[in-house]
Amino acid sequence: MTDSSGNFDFLEKYDSRVAHLARQAESYVYSDPDSSLFKLRLMVETMARTLVELEQPQLVDTDLSVMLRSLQRSGLLDRRQAEHMHAIRRDGNAAVHGRDSTTPTALRRLRDGWRLSRWYARMVRRGAKVDQADFKPPVPPRTDSKSAALHAQAEALEEAAERRRHRMREALLLFGEKDDADAMRWRLRGELRALEDIAIVAGEPVVDADFVALVMAMDLEQILEHPSWGHSSSEAKASVETQFTAFKHAHAEAEEAYLRDRAALARAHRPS
Amino acid sequence: MADLDLATTWFLAARAMACGGEPLSMSEEAAAGLFARAILGLDEEVCIAAKDASHMTAHTLVDCMSMASHLPRGTADQVMTGVMMVAYAAASMQPLQVRWASMLASAMEMDEDRFQRCCVNARVVASMLPAGEEAVGD
Repeated sequence: MTDSSGNFDFLEKYDSRVAHLARQAESYVYSDPDSSLFKLRLMVETMARTLVELEQPQLVDTDLSVMLRSLQRSGLLDRRQAEHMHAIRRDGNAAVHGRDSTTPTALRRLRDGWRLSRWYARMVRRGAKVDQADFKPPVPPRTDSKSAALHAQAEALEEAAERRRHRMREALLLFGEKDDADAMRWRLRGELRALEDIAIVAGEPVVDADFVALVMAMDLEQILEHPSWGHSSSEAKASVETQFTAFKHAHAEAEEAYLRDRAALARAHRPS
Repeated sequence: MADLDLATTWFLAARAMACGGEPLSMSEEAAAGLFARAILGLDEEVCIAAKDASHMTAHTLVDCMSMASHLPRGTADQVMTGVMMVAYAAASMQPLQVRWASMLASAMEMDEDRFQRCCVNARVVASMLPAGEEAVGD
């Protein structure tokens, strides 16, 4: 078993269980990559469970991917951390299900786990100044030239797979890795508000907003009742009613604002 | 319509729908992206070119509606279905999302029946996605 490089020692004071799992993962990385990935997956699950417990305790017993999605939606987990967590979950699952893993894969995920650790420490102790040294790859055991060649081959394969995944993500996701999603969101929301104003001033288009809201409300109620969302009928109805009411309120407010502006304009142009 | 224009229309329309609501998780984004690529037949190169930052910032939602108005009827229905899927994947109907669906459908000269059919398709596909869908590249 390889000695720990101390990469995760700083975690001890924030969460000793997570620190222990991380150190175990690190110690197995060369001797037993499957176990290393399994420990990393457990580490991510423990992190997610702790954070979900703080934010949405009703989701604690759900699947890891559901917890990750919930953390991402609540804004606790940004895209980069979500990618690290999903990568560990994916490779950890593969190891658990008997698919042979390689040391290069385990090493990459270990580094992902290390990157996550700093963020996690900050999450469990808000405002904490986390003292984390640079990542030190664990020292490899001495190997013969044949093993070294195999390792290099596995590393090249892993690199190719990562490139492929990256390209697929770039093509599929609505926002790319380099996009400033917040700036784009701000810009598009501004344009959408302008379209809202146009619709109110110029008159509703053929498929009007009230009709769209009604159709969406009916569809969403069915979606929320679907087993994949698992809401009861009353929960689904309540959730949709809240969203529908918010729409009606925003819509009425926008129309009211327009009427106010129009009245003010009329007053300003009234002959004295 | 050239593939790049179709991809530009799709990404602008889908981004507008996503930005009108709460932030999407990557798996929700990917589900919509996968649907679009499969149904609209967009290849990786075209998707990446359409999402290029300078290309995207050169287009507004008015451009998107203009391009959408020139789509053949069947393709327009597919884009509308994908856009509704973005909202449905997150079970969300925020006011700006409602407005965008209304504007886009109207730009595509849809009537209420046609819009509703797109929504039914979007709902069916969105329901088939497990709530905890795998992340991209899995």
